Amino acid sequence: MVQIKKKKEIEAKIPDAGMSDIVFLLLLFFLVSTTIDVDTGIGLSLPEYIPPEEQEFVPLSKDRLASLNINENGDVLLDGDIIAIPQISEKLKPRIESKINLPSKKKLVISVKTDRKTNYNLYIQALDQIKFSYSEVQKAYSQSAYAKKLEDLTPEEVKDVKTKIPIIISIAEPEQIK
Amino acid sequence: MPDIIFMLLLFFMVATTLRERDVYVKFKLPEAVAIQKIENKRLISYIWVGKSGKIQLNDNLVLVEDIQDIMYKKRVELPNVIVSLRIDKESNMGVVHDIQQELRKADARRINYSAMLKQ
Repeated sequence: MVQIKKKKEIEAKIPDAGMSDIVFLLLLFFLVSTTIDVDTGIGLSLPEYIPPEEQEFVPLSKDRLASLNINENGDVLLDGDIIAIPQISEKLKPRIESKINLPSKKKLVISVKTDRKTNYNLYIQALDQIKFSYSEVQKAYSQSAYAKKLEDLTPEEVKDVKTKIPIIISIAEPEQIK
Repeated sequence: MPDIIFMLLLFFMVATTLRERDVYVKFKLPEAVAIQKIENKRLISYIWVGKSGKIQLNDNLVLVEDIQDIMYKKRVELPNVIVSLRIDKESNMGVVHDIQQELRKADARRINYSAMLKQ
């Protein structure tokens, strides 16, 4: 028997010894250039711009409106009474809660008004209090209506919570300095 | 080993948003409790207001009057742009209000007052 010698195949191989070096380099690059921190803050939607000539005066009944004024000295007025900023949420919560079952035209409107010289930090603290009271009320509502946490609700349920407790904040224009 | 590195690499590639902006103004953010995260970083335009009252919009220092034009163009490109306002906490409301008016005119009405979580 004649044995036919199998021709030895030449193995083709892509040289990959340097690959991990390249990957390491890429990894280092992305490590250095990455910023993972997310932007956090208080979200708001501004009202549409309407030129002064076309502005209409819409009357708003008094029990719908909570007006919050902050002057340049840092005094805070809620519906005319002086109040400390950390107390705002306690005052607002019952008022928001009392309007949960009213139609959307009767929900609470919170109007925030500042002077041009009011400190920005105070404004943010006040806005924070307002947002906080809304989120507390929304949490309590989702707990009582669905027995679930706000973040576990289905999209439809979230929508219901948001229509029951809409966040209406009106940023009034500061008065011009005469 | 290379697998793990690959995985890390992929993670950082996905999590990265390239090009950090240079900030030319000095600012210190206010602190707040009821804050939200903005999920989509690509939608954000930034406005900085520094201690000195200088205003920076994205990459350039601008005047208040310029904001409307720039933001209007931006909004045409990116209809649901979010404007992140990074304003120094010692600023006056006057400048904040002026910026808001410009944004309203430009119809870029989704804003976010940037704030740090109060510890």
